[in-house]
Parts: sequence; structure tokens; C-alpha cells
Amino acid sequence: MSLIQVKDLYKIYQMGNTEVRALDGVSVSIEANEYVSIMGPSGSGKSTLMNLVGCLDTPTSGDFFMDGINVASMSDDELAHIRNKKIGFVFQTFNLLPKSTSLRNVELPLIYNGEIKAKDRKEMAMSALERVGLGDRVHHKPNELSGGQRQRVAIARALVNNPAIILADEPTGNLDSKTGEEIMALFDDLQNQGNTIILVTHEEYIAEHADRVVRLLDGKIAVDEATPKAKKK
Amino acid sequence: MKSFFWENLRIALSELWGHKTRTILTGTGIVIGILAVSLMSTLISGVDGLFENSMKFLGRGNLYVEKWPWFGDEDWWTLRNRPRIELDMAEDILERSEYAMVVASERGRSANLSYKEYKTENIFVHGVTANFPEVSTVDVEYGRFFTESEDRTGAQVILLGSEVAKALFPLENPIDKMIFAGPTRYRVIGVLAEMGKFLGAFSQDTQVIIPIQSFNKIFEGPWGMRRLTVKVPEEHVEDAKEELRGVVRVLRGLKPDEKDNFAINQQDSFRQTYQGIKVAIGGTGLVITALSLLVGGIGIANIMFVSVKERTREIGVRKALGATRSQIQGQFLIEAMVITASGGLVGLAISTLAAFAINKFFFPATMSFGVAFMAIGLSAAVGLFAGLAPARKGAKLDPIEALRYE
Repeated sequence: MSLIQVKDLYKIYQMGNTEVRALDGVSVSIEANEYVSIMGPSGSGKSTLMNLVGCLDTPTSGDFFMDGINVASMSDDELAHIRNKKIGFVFQTFNLLPKSTSLRNVELPLIYNGEIKAKDRKEMAMSALERVGLGDRVHHKPNELSGGQRQRVAIARALVNNPAIILADEPTGNLDSKTGEEIMALFDDLQNQGNTIILVTHEEYIAEHADRVVRLLDGKIAVDEATPKAKKK
Repeated sequence: MKSFFWENLRIALSELWGHKTRTILTGTGIVIGILAVSLMSTLISGVDGLFENSMKFLGRGNLYVEKWPWFGDEDWWTLRNRPRIELDMAEDILERSEYAMVVASERGRSANLSYKEYKTENIFVHGVTANFPEVSTVDVEYGRFFTESEDRTGAQVILLGSEVAKALFPLENPIDKMIFAGPTRYRVIGVLAEMGKFLGAFSQDTQVIIPIQSFNKIFEGPWGMRRLTVKVPEEHVEDAKEELRGVVRVLRGLKPDEKDNFAINQQDSFRQTYQGIKVAIGGTGLVITALSLLVGGIGIANIMFVSVKERTREIGVRKALGATRSQIQGQFLIEAMVITASGGLVGLAISTLAAFAINKFFFPATMSFGVAFMAIGLSAAVGLFAGLAPARKGAKLDPIEALRYE
């Protein structure tokens, strides 16, 4: 079975009298260690799909298997546990806690895991920061770091729980192009180390880092194809 | 779950440390509330202690037959015109009453005392029968009480209250010295132990005691206090009171349709009056002070709502990283409780100091452990209640909305 298996997923909002079909029957499968970009203009359902895949939201109907578990009808707290153990988020605006050091920020998912001792948490957070090349910035707070470094902290935070997928939403959107390239190189490395990555973006050159692009339009999958990079392999 | 408590405590402390002014201002409301509540309780228990101490002077099983009632709203002129208490009823009462165990007669009025160049004015001279120690708490510190025969013969012997002894005999041993009480010479046979004031007003230590027969010889005329103290079994005091009333009515020859022309007083009437005052003043005081705590709690609730609003995005991040509702709720609840509990501790510390000061300069009042526990428990409870609504609001936030919040 695929790592992620989405079947006939619908998300329908009622806005006054009009019915908005944010997702209108989406089916897609993602394998372990795949690197997939999700693209589409605004209003295409891209964010909705990302929220559903990120277990931040539940669909109106349809099935969504993550690692063999159907998460489509889970409660809030069950979803929180899934997010904690299976998903690593990387946001456009980094979303670090401003008053906490890099180490504390990276430790956060381990704290909410609830089963990891304080000493082990520190070690795991340290090694995650080393993996993104910030072993010397562990006691810095976000405002003492550059944008690229902040995003690396956020990536370390996404990695620390050994999640099934890393879900990155416009991870380079707030960075200059050179720093953006560095971050994208980091994602390439993570894939080579065996991670599964789902990237939401509207930049073609960013999307091309992935093996596969899923293009959404009006809540439906318009195109699902391999990228030139994957074809070269 | 335990690890989240410490984690949440850590978050709360760093958050509160980051907003010092806000924390201090909000906490002050609780400081004042706890200060007021714990001081009020301490004062009430202090006054209680004072009252109970005074009540020891009036034995629980004592009934006092007097002209004037201690409490009540009868017409003053009616009371004024009542006949004096005939102290020679004592023997008849002892004979006729089944409950009466001891009947002591007492008279009293004030007089000036002197010994050599030392003088004291307006000392309460208490003429009592030899059985007086059986119905009171007088305690002879040194020397002795007078005997039955000394009383019968009207011997001129006297016992001094501790203050009187100090005033008249600053240097000498008073025993066997001759002092003047009014125009008459008395031989000092004993000094009473220090007893303190009755209800903080009438000092027991500035009285002297003489045999009632010698009192009758010197102080003729109707003036001054006179009463019969009847000791009855404590467990039958109400029945005994009714019986005593009947006995005195018979001795006075009152007809069935005539009203009592005497009063039977007892400790319980003090107690009832005191309880009434205590409930009225103390209860009102506690309610008012508790209101100040409520106001403090509203302040906390208000600031917690602000805090939840300000940290919407943080809540979104925490939720995305796997925080459950109860973890977020716990975070804000603990934050509110840290403010109120530390406010409570500060309030408690200040009121402990204040209690020390009151104890030293006014009257006995010590902060009990019960009050301290109550103050801490109460402040934590205020935090819990004040934090509940804001914390629930934070916990219920939709992570998607919260992450988008600017």
C-alpha cells in the first residue's frame, strides 16, 4: 500500500447560499521516499488539499489513508497525534516561537509526543539541527538568525520526530533566490536520505526539484506527471 | 501528563517573565484580594479568641440573678424601679433549687486604696462570699483566699488584683501589709494571678476582693453592684434557669400575672449576642473582601483573553506540531494559576506581617495554618476559574485559522 492514499476526496464549504467545492473528487497516491510538488493557481484547492494531507482538517467525504490508517474521520485530538508523529511541517513564514531558542523550537514536537525523556529530546533536537547545518546556532533565538537559518531551524523541527512525510508550504516564499536554492538543496538531500516530501508552490523552478508534479484546477487534479528531473534519472 | 505540567509551567513562567509589568499589575488585584480575605479571617479568629478568653470568667454553668439584664430592650424605667436583689435569698435558693450546687453572693463598688505614699483610685472593690472561688476563675497567685469564718465575722482581709498589687507594692511583698480601702484598714492576705481584660474593656486585674460581710459594714446603702451567682450543672443550664426563675418568683412572692422583677443572666446571652455581631460584621466583611478577590479574578480573565488573542499564531503552531486541546488548555490554565498563586503568596506574606503587627500593637491575632491554606487554595481556585474560559477559547481554535492569523 502507498504511504498516502487519497480516494474521492471532497471538501465542500457552504458560503451563505453558495456551495464552494474546494476539493471536488481528488484521488492521488504518494509512495514512500517520493518527492511531489502540488501546484495550482489560487482557489484551485491546493491549500485545502495541503491542510487535509497535513491532518489539520477533515474532508467532507472520501477516504484518506496515511501509512495505512484512515484519518478521514478522526477527532481533533487523534489528528493532533497523527500530526505529531507522522507529519513535519515547513511553513512559508517559518512559524518559529520567537522567544525560544533554536533548540527549544526543535524540541517542541518531541515535547508534545509525551513519551520522550528530556535528555533524549535535547540529543534528538541537537542532531536534527546538525543535519540542517546549524549545530553552532542551537542557543540563538529566531531574531538572531537570518531568514535562511530560520527556515533551516523550521526544517530541523519538521525532521526531529522522524515523520512519515515532510509537508512544505511555499518554503522559499519569504527567502531571496540564492537562499531559496540552498533550502531546496537541503530538501534534495533529505529525499536522498529517505524522506518523503510534499511541496506546495506556485514557482515552476521550485516545483522542478520534485520527481512529480500534481496540478490542481477548480478542485480537481488536472495534471499528474513526472518532472524532467525524474525523467532524466 | 506529568511532563506537560512542568512543560506548561515553564512556558507560563517565561511568558510571564516576558510581560513583567502586565503580570505585576494583574497579580496585584489578587494580592489585594488575598490580603483582605486572610486578614479578615485572622481578625475574626483573633476576636473569637479574645471572646472565648473572656467567657472563661463567666462559667458556662453559672446563672447570675441580677436586677439588670445584660442584654435586651426592656424599658429602662421599669428596670430602674425593680427592687434590689436580696442577697439573703442565697440560702433559700440553695435549699429549694434542685440544680443549684453553689450560690455565691457578690457586691461591688469602687473605692480609693492607699498604702504609705502609694495610692490607687477607682478600684473595683468586690465583696464576695467565701465560696466565690467555686463559681469563678479567680486564681490566687500567692497568699490565700479568705475562709468561711473570716467572711461570717466580717474580717478585714483583702486580696489584690495583680495590677493593684503592682501599683501599691512596687518594691515590697504585700502579704500581711495593712492598706486603706476608703476609711478602713485591711490586711492583705493574697494576690490574684494576672487575668487580663474582660472583652477588652473591664480589667480583672484592677479589682480587689474582700469578704462580703465586711463589705456590708463599710459600704452601707443601696449603691453598687449586687448579684447572686448560682452554679448549676452545665448540661442542665437551660432547665436550671427556668427552675431558678420559679424559685426567685416564689421567694419574691410574685403573682402568676406579674412580670419578673429580676433578671437571670448567663454566659450564653453574651455568646448569642456576640455570634449575632460576628455573623453580621464578620460575614459582611468576608463577603466584601471576597468581592475584591472576584474583581482580581475578572482582571486575570481579561488579561488571559488578551494573551490568548495575542498568541493565536503560537497556538496554531503548537497545534500543527501535535499539541492536543487539553495541552493548550493546560498551558493557559497554568499560566493563570501561576499569576494568582504567586499573587496569593505575596498577599499571604503581607498579611502575615500585618497580623504580627496587629498582634503586637492591638490584640492577639495570629495567622492560622488554616487561613494560610485557605488563601493559597483560594488564589489557585480563582486562577482556575478566571483562566478556564480563555484557556478553552485558545484550545478550541482551528489550527488552520490560527496559523493564518496576523
